[in-house]
Amino acid sequence: MALPRSFKRALWVFHIATGSCNGCDIEIVAALTPRYDVERFGIMLTGTPRHADVLLITGPVTRPMLPRLQRIYEQTPDPKAVVVVGGCGSTGGVFYESYNLVGPIDEVIPVDIYVPGCPARPEAIIDGVVKAVTKLETLERKVRT
Amino acid sequence: MSGISSGFGTWNPIAWGLLILGIAVLALVLRSTGRRSYKKGTDQTKAFLSGNEEPSTPGDLHVRGGHLYWGMLDGLDAYYRRVRGLHTGVINDYVAWFVGALAFLGVLFVWVG
Repeated sequence: MALPRSFKRALWVFHIATGSCNGCDIEIVAALTPRYDVERFGIMLTGTPRHADVLLITGPVTRPMLPRLQRIYEQTPDPKAVVVVGGCGSTGGVFYESYNLVGPIDEVIPVDIYVPGCPARPEAIIDGVVKAVTKLETLERKVRT
Repeated sequence: MSGISSGFGTWNPIAWGLLILGIAVLALVLRSTGRRSYKKGTDQTKAFLSGNEEPSTPGDLHVRGGHLYWGMLDGLDAYYRRVRGLHTGVINDYVAWFVGALAFLGVLFVWVG
């Protein structure tokens, strides 16, 4: 597996809310504000998964969002990192075993990094994205050696 | 090949040719920096429609100009239904409307003085 140059230069992140209460989404937006300013690290939100290196997913997976999440995952070019933000996406959170949920995100698509919290803090989200890339880079080195 | 110079500018086919070549080379360079790992024949090469499935018939993707006025057409639906009914496409009907409207205006002008 070889990481494209885009991973080593700037990370383009696509954000998907699969049924979140918007708490985590607001924290993602907070990470973009001047206080945290992730764009100075080259981390930028993109409008389409086709340009993304990392998928940032919030919320448990509701039934209507299931095919959409799967399609978005498929549309993201490889290699990609999947980061789940918040307790709902990680475990189902307060919506655990709800009738209209398919389950936490890792029951639908493979997840690389979990960022727990209700909501997760912006520092934790940034840390999660960086860890996801580190994980992919480590994997790349292992494949090469 | 010499160019043509006039008070309005200069035309030189070689200069234009070089410019087009330069743009083509630049476009190829930019294209070569793109990601090549897209898997053809999968969802990765399909249009992103907010996660929705791409319609199998291209016509479903087409947004007609009339869609821009959907709110107005819907709000004035009663009016538009009546007016559309009058547009029969028969020239005799249109002439009849014209003559009728002209007669009405004539009577109006005479009556008002």
